[in-house]
Amino acid sequence: MKTMRIAIPAVILAFAAAGCILVSGQFLLDFSLDDFTTTTETAVTNAEIDLTTESDYQDHKDDLKAIADIAVLGKITNNGSEAVGAEVWIAPNSSTVYTTADDVKAYTTKLWGPFTVQPGAANAVTVDWNKSSTLFSTAGKQMLLDEAKGDGMFTLYAIGDKTTYNITVENGVLAIVLDFAK
Amino acid sequence: MKKSVMAAALGVLLAAGAANATGIGAGVYAGYSFPVLQEDAGSGSMYGFRAPISVAPTITIEPFYASSALGDVEEVLGGISYTREGFDQTAYGASLLFGNTSGPGFHVYPFAGIGKYKLERTGTDIDEVGYNFGLGFGFGVAPKISLHVRGEVEMIKIEDSSRKFGNVTGGVSYSFMP
Repeated sequence: MKTMRIAIPAVILAFAAAGCILVSGQFLLDFSLDDFTTTTETAVTNAEIDLTTESDYQDHKDDLKAIADIAVLGKITNNGSEAVGAEVWIAPNSSTVYTTADDVKAYTTKLWGPFTVQPGAANAVTVDWNKSSTLFSTAGKQMLLDEAKGDGMFTLYAIGDKTTYNITVENGVLAIVLDFAK
Repeated sequence: MKKSVMAAALGVLLAAGAANATGIGAGVYAGYSFPVLQEDAGSGSMYGFRAPISVAPTITIEPFYASSALGDVEEVLGGISYTREGFDQTAYGASLLFGNTSGPGFHVYPFAGIGKYKLERTGTDIDEVGYNFGLGFGFGVAPKISLHVRGEVEMIKIEDSSRKFGNVTGGVSYSFMP
């Protein structure tokens, strides 16, 4: 029984070491993006995201711990003549709006991609959630988390990974599962 | 620090069981696991094995292995239906059961334990320490055979947060000794 006098407190101590992890949850926030076509010949398309428009975020912002899951979703059509990788880049909320792919790559952080799309309307693809979740960069996710813990506002840019491209995105969505705990 | 405390607790539990065993058995169980406050996870079936080791009339140490196949999550986002695959979970650890859990008659026993939990799906690979606690009901149906129904909460600690699941299981245990 001597060892049992150690074992029972050991279990209690282990539970205590866990902290207050009982009060936690993973909440899905989704942000619809306007349909757009982005090409190398026109200004880069951007979307401003404001997490504060989501009640779950407002209710739990102070308890935000991590990004549990994330996906860029939507239907992507490659209007060009060769395969292109679609990419999403992220920048903190700012009055500066980048209008060229070179500026986006120089001054923002890659969040997602490339997601390769073959040319032609017949090859338009709806991004799979599972596939999408594997295309995030560590630096991009960290910036997204930092923004979520900050003012909750940031800007996304969509570009192609070729020197010339023409991509249409329909029904675009940024889905984020935020991890909250007290 | 915390992980070492947890590993030490698990080690002490198993060592205590080995040193004080007055009865040992084996059991299998199956049931249903459902996520708690997780909008990106689904429910699914689970099964596992247990090895109850009686160390005192009212204390049992029970190493366990568990496996769950959690269901997919369907969401309509931007007008398109998407599927996020469910987690595959495996876990091993040990629980401490308080009360008489076997023998003839009906038994009620609380329990708590710690273990190593792995949650996997495309794009996610979680391998962390977790905890469980709950309430079990035992029915002695023969001198060495008992049926068990349990409800438990398991918490897998992920940095400063956790993923939680509720499990309801039914199983049978066989006592090798005494």
